[in-house]
Amino acid sequence: MNRRVAAIAGAGWIICLAVVLGFSLPSSAQDQALSAQEILDKVDDLYRGESSHGKMSMTIVTAHWTRTLRLEFWNKGKDKSLIRILAPEKEAGTATLRVGNEIWNYLPKVNRVIKLPSSMMSASWMGSHFTNNDLVKESRFTEDYTFEKGFEGAREGVQVIEIDCRPKPEAAVVWGRVAVAVRQGDYLPLESKYYDEDLNLARTMTFSRIQEMTGRTMPTVMTVVPADKPEEKTVVDYEEIAFDLDLSDEVFSLRQLKK
Amino acid sequence: MIFRLAWRNLWRNTRRTLITLAAVGLNTAVLITSYALMDGLWKQIVSNATNLVTGEAQIHAPEYLVHRSIYNSLENPKKIMTALENQGIGAAARSYDYGLLAHESKSAGAQFWGVDPNREREVFGLADNMFQGRFLPEQPQHGIVLGKKLARSLNVSVGSEIVVVVQAADGSLGNDLYTVTGILKTVGESIDRNAAILHQADFQTLFVSEGRIHEIALNARGRLPLEDLAQAAVRAGPEAEVKTWRQLMPALSDIVNLLDVTIWIFLLIFFLAAGLGVMNTMLMATFERIREFGIIKALGAGPWRILGDVAVEALWLGLVASALGALLGLAGAYYLQEIGLDTSAFAADYTVAGVAFDPLWRADLTLKAAGVPVIVMWLVCVLASLYPAFMAARLDPVRAIQHV
Repeated sequence: MNRRVAAIAGAGWIICLAVVLGFSLPSSAQDQALSAQEILDKVDDLYRGESSHGKMSMTIVTAHWTRTLRLEFWNKGKDKSLIRILAPEKEAGTATLRVGNEIWNYLPKVNRVIKLPSSMMSASWMGSHFTNNDLVKESRFTEDYTFEKGFEGAREGVQVIEIDCRPKPEAAVVWGRVAVAVRQGDYLPLESKYYDEDLNLARTMTFSRIQEMTGRTMPTVMTVVPADKPEEKTVVDYEEIAFDLDLSDEVFSLRQLKK
Repeated sequence: MIFRLAWRNLWRNTRRTLITLAAVGLNTAVLITSYALMDGLWKQIVSNATNLVTGEAQIHAPEYLVHRSIYNSLENPKKIMTALENQGIGAAARSYDYGLLAHESKSAGAQFWGVDPNREREVFGLADNMFQGRFLPEQPQHGIVLGKKLARSLNVSVGSEIVVVVQAADGSLGNDLYTVTGILKTVGESIDRNAAILHQADFQTLFVSEGRIHEIALNARGRLPLEDLAQAAVRAGPEAEVKTWRQLMPALSDIVNLLDVTIWIFLLIFFLAAGLGVMNTMLMATFERIREFGIIKALGAGPWRILGDVAVEALWLGLVASALGALLGLAGAYYLQEIGLDTSAFAADYTVAGVAFDPLWRADLTLKAAGVPVIVMWLVCVLASLYPAFMAARLDPVRAIQHV
């Protein structure tokens, strides 16, 4: 009932997108014989164990309002992420910390850190079309899902490989199926479709503006459109991103969250 | 003449008449009291459900109850409130949306209410239903009132400071500190677990929702029939959606309907038991007099004369008995209406269809509760005496005289 509750939670979807969708695949992916698992693992391995830091803007369009947030984020490994709002002024300084399955928010206006209750996991993050679950659940994506190559060939003039992700029977997951389309050759993600447990399309994420950023070629714009509200969307636009930084664990502490 | 005769006849056998009088009178008293108690139970369940917070009817924007979106607010709440006021119907306007509450290491999701504390006090009982502390003050002072279970899960008490985080209607992040002014008593599962009540002005600042009203709850406290109230609500807000408590709480409505049937079955059994008791007394009393009827008949009275005599006697007896019984029953029912039966020894804090139930069971004394038993007992008296009288009237006088 409280789908649009403001739960300022996970920056984690940023990681999960990168992890699941081969966000930062290097150009070295010339091996044409990679299996579905290998494609995602490669992305995984490449991404995890590393760290990143960058800035992005997020534009949210709903039936009632449109707004743009500017965000700064830090990620380390599989479990840790921190995201801080830079603008607009009303929310500036608000920060979200995720460590493992737990999410904390810092609210500068009242100078308090609050822990997100588990009942809020399916709530929206800052009114966007991402939920807190996108963060927590999908950091376990490779453990909870099985992967299989599906369609391979030309789609709208682009050679693509589709990877079909299905949940393992015992896994507690949010999505009943995730279909990821990557570009043949460089495995850059093009589109991914999320299906609910009844296998109805829940949302579509598209990747665009492929460009080089800090030495990596990647799509730098992601657009999410919920299936039930096609006139709404959330657009994430990467402004800058740096990889393989030496970030200490201290960055992802509650003490640091308040600063 | 025949009435005076019957009256004198009654007191010829004082003991018999007094026994019959006592039987009819006591049965009438018991019937009146139980009728009033049963009626009280019914009314109490309905008023518990409606007086506290729901009201007898509610006005929402069309489809609001389906999605409960903050954007789907009433078009012209001020106009509706004025129209209701002009018709003398008590009403309270409320705003709703969802959000997050946190206190120290605990946090929980909640449904926020924006209310006008004065209106709530005037029209509804929620403000008097406090477990701890007090309801919101008249002026907005960043106070918050919580449901009992919500307060427990946040581990807060009166005076605790709570962080409130919501997504405002303009998409921005609303957050602020609120102080707990009070904690509600058990009301019903959904309020106990979810309700976080703010002053309407605080709510509109927090949610950036100036003027958005999602619900107008009407409470005429049973003065108007439900249909009339619903019609008044439709007149006040023709473009809005009006629902009565029976539509808002279908489970409770079903239970009340079922209870209604149960009450009638109970009353039927009571009436039958009391009626049979009275009938037995009257039968015995009349059968005892068959010899007397034989003599009267032998003296030349026709069967109709005997029948008439007995009927008038029974009428007298019934009148006196039910009058005395009514006095006794009214006293009993009045006592139970004012003082009530304390059932808390059997069940504490229980709810019927998600609505808290007052353990004090009060009778509801109405004209119907007093009138129906009196009339029924009177009829039973007369009918029960007519049968033996009819038998006697048909008897051959000689055999009647010899009847033992």
